[in-house]
Amino acid sequence: MTDPAPLIVETVTRRYAGRAVVDAASLRLEPGRITALLGKSGAGKSTLLRLIAGLERPDAGAIRIGDKLLSDPKTMIPAEKRRIGLIFQDFALFPHLTALQNIQFGLSSLPKSDAQALARDWLERIGLGARADAYPHQLSGGEQQRVAIARAFAPEPIAILMDEPFSGLDPALREDLRDVTLGAVRASQTPALLVTHDAHEAMVSADHLAVMRAGKIVQEGSPEAVYTQPVDKGVATALGPIIFLDGQVTNGETAIHTVFGPLEAPDSMCESGKTYSVGIRPEAVLIDAASPIKADILVSRRNGPMRQLQIEASGVKAMILVPASVPAEAGQQIGIRLDPSACMVF
Amino acid sequence: MLGVLNLLPGIKRLSLNDVPMTLAAFIVGAPVIGAILIGIFAGGGDVWTHITQTFFWTYTANTLAIMVLMTILMLISAVPTAWLVTMYDFPGRALFSWVLILPLAVPGYVLAFSYADFLGVVGPFQSGIRELTGLSARDYWFPDIRSLPGCAFVLSAALYPYVYLSARAGFQTQSLGALEAARSLGANARTRFWRIALPGARPAIAAGLALALMEAAADYGAAGFLGVQTLTVGVFRAWSSFGDPAAGARLAIVLIGICLFLQWLERHDRGAAGYQTNARRAHIIIRTPLKGTQALLATGFCALVFLLGFGLPVTNLIAQALDVRDQTPPIGSALWNSLRLAALGAGAAFCVALIIALGTHKKRPIAQLVNLLTASGYAVPGAVLALGALYALVQFKLPLTGSAALGLLVWVYVCRFTTAGAQPMEAALKRAPESYDHAARSLGAGPMRRLLSIDLPIITPGASVGALILFVEILKELPATLMLRPFDWDTLAVRAYAYASDERLSAAALPSLAITLAGLLPVILLSWRLSHNASGRHQ
Repeated sequence: MTDPAPLIVETVTRRYAGRAVVDAASLRLEPGRITALLGKSGAGKSTLLRLIAGLERPDAGAIRIGDKLLSDPKTMIPAEKRRIGLIFQDFALFPHLTALQNIQFGLSSLPKSDAQALARDWLERIGLGARADAYPHQLSGGEQQRVAIARAFAPEPIAILMDEPFSGLDPALREDLRDVTLGAVRASQTPALLVTHDAHEAMVSADHLAVMRAGKIVQEGSPEAVYTQPVDKGVATALGPIIFLDGQVTNGETAIHTVFGPLEAPDSMCESGKTYSVGIRPEAVLIDAASPIKADILVSRRNGPMRQLQIEASGVKAMILVPASVPAEAGQQIGIRLDPSACMVF
Repeated sequence: MLGVLNLLPGIKRLSLNDVPMTLAAFIVGAPVIGAILIGIFAGGGDVWTHITQTFFWTYTANTLAIMVLMTILMLISAVPTAWLVTMYDFPGRALFSWVLILPLAVPGYVLAFSYADFLGVVGPFQSGIRELTGLSARDYWFPDIRSLPGCAFVLSAALYPYVYLSARAGFQTQSLGALEAARSLGANARTRFWRIALPGARPAIAAGLALALMEAAADYGAAGFLGVQTLTVGVFRAWSSFGDPAAGARLAIVLIGICLFLQWLERHDRGAAGYQTNARRAHIIIRTPLKGTQALLATGFCALVFLLGFGLPVTNLIAQALDVRDQTPPIGSALWNSLRLAALGAGAAFCVALIIALGTHKKRPIAQLVNLLTASGYAVPGAVLALGALYALVQFKLPLTGSAALGLLVWVYVCRFTTAGAQPMEAALKRAPESYDHAARSLGAGPMRRLLSIDLPIITPGASVGALILFVEILKELPATLMLRPFDWDTLAVRAYAYASDERLSAAALPSLAITLAGLLPVILLSWRLSHNASGRHQ
């Protein structure tokens, strides 16, 4: 195995009919780490993936593995020479080949018996040792994606790219497949990119998160950091439900006052009389009987481990999440306050 | 046709990889464009003046009249049968649902021979009437099959399955929810048919109708044999009687216009029909059982349509072939020629179809243009393409029925039928998403390996169906073969037509039956695949 090297995307631009679909995007995929690329459809995520895979040529910038150039506007190592593994939403298993033959497809440089033995090893690893001769249409969706994962990893790729790999599967299977994939990435110490439009999936799967919007990477960092310190309202919204309230700092105080209560403002934000926008996540509103700020509960519903409340205070409605143990009925009035660690000021 | 302008930018992006597609475009497009150019620029002269003064309006009016009559006949036969076998259960339903397709196997000219014999003055039908009533032939009036309505009837019997198939597909794929909602709103069966099902299936029915009418407009054999002066017959006669291919080519322009319009209509409405299919949900239609008189009427109607389209004429052919009064000459050499020619033509068309199907799948820049050309080739009647070939032979002073003519005949086959072979291949490749190609590339497979181990295996089922369709279509082809075959070199179709024209109908029966038998193969395969697909093999 070659030494794992990071995959580096340097200010890559790709234009379709003059419009930059990927606009000076930079990204560094570290070995053994999963980077999630999060964005809405049309943000340019899939195009960036195709550029890295070698299915398209960049109009500007460069893509390297370690210090080896893969593509720039003049150079282009074709996809079939790159050894970058791809995993697709539709699995893309070859329908006329068995599970074993699918995995063996990428091992053509090995002697046939070795290739077959290696493919069998992989089948065992993904728990499908008994289904070697099954054709894709005879496998369930989860089994198909396992084969697709094994097929992509078997030739020891220099990087793995995944395009919405779990969105075709039902929730219970997703967890399972995620574990299989993460395990394979760690074991192979391969740089991996996970393209998704699902913020929850990005956060639970990835070690590193990059948010893409209109062709640009607008923020990257650990999922924790991006969730709690988004650079703008757009990123905040992309990472999960949030509402924005206006608040003012009154003279001589260090708190921003909103209809949901005061929030200790960061020092830099403390300009008297000025209006700020405060982003409030569902978990940022705490129930506190002692608080002078009161809210009416409009709807109360059990939401799995949590309780989801629709509340209204001074005419502003919000959806909040509280521990299920907190008694709360529709029609009740409760005291609320803000948890500064789950609020953000813009 | 406006699409042509949008296709031009693609040409700028051509590369070396596009050589096969460009070649395919030339092979398929040159005869069509040539035929049109000859018609516009080389026509005229005395023969043309003569034709415009005498036959032109008759030809056009006859062609249009046949199409109007056929529309009525096919709608009243095909749409009700399609509705019955889709929505109701009655004795024989399962059988009718596929035997109603069988007339597709019988060329229009074969049906014409059989009906002319069966309904003729000395044929079994009128003889039977005379025996029963004791009348003589002069005592009663009987409709003449050798007439314009007769020709429309024969062609409708041969071509109604196009309408039947598309109507059935239209009824099957429409929203079951809509029909059930109509039921819950109190609509009875008649209202549901007229207000929900028929409007829903209308685009599909129109598409099938357009295809059938296009085939009818291109027909030479049936109209020529029954003595009806249609445009295609006129094109043929301009050459055979007046020896002026250019005048025929000018006549052909009207015909090409009609056919291209019908083709456009078919594609247009097929596209519209696509919006309505909700492929996600399986449509399991629970058929309503019919009882008593209703069941009898349904069975009777389906049986009547089947008998008129297939049962009666084919039985009559078999009876004729077994009839020993007219010693049937052996058909060995004609059979051998037919097989050789069809194999050659199908082989050539198959290669071109393969290039086009793969090129379309890979979204080559000129794919749309090539597909437009193959579609046009299919729309242009064989007689017109053959005329273009003859014109070229005259221009280059080559023998009109030598090996050069045979080469051009194969070219005409390729031009006309490539699309029929490419369609099943493209359908097979549609099941292969782009991600297969990307996956193979990411696993290190170069272009050759991707072609051999991914594209070709995926295309194989479609390709074998395509090859079979091509072989049979070419075996059945009459006008171009008649015009371009080498002197004294008969095929089954040519032999059958020659015997029939000489009123030796029993001698024509055997080659006709041989063609029909060959034609049954793909039709049975097609109906098997249709029922197989309906059960949802793919996951």
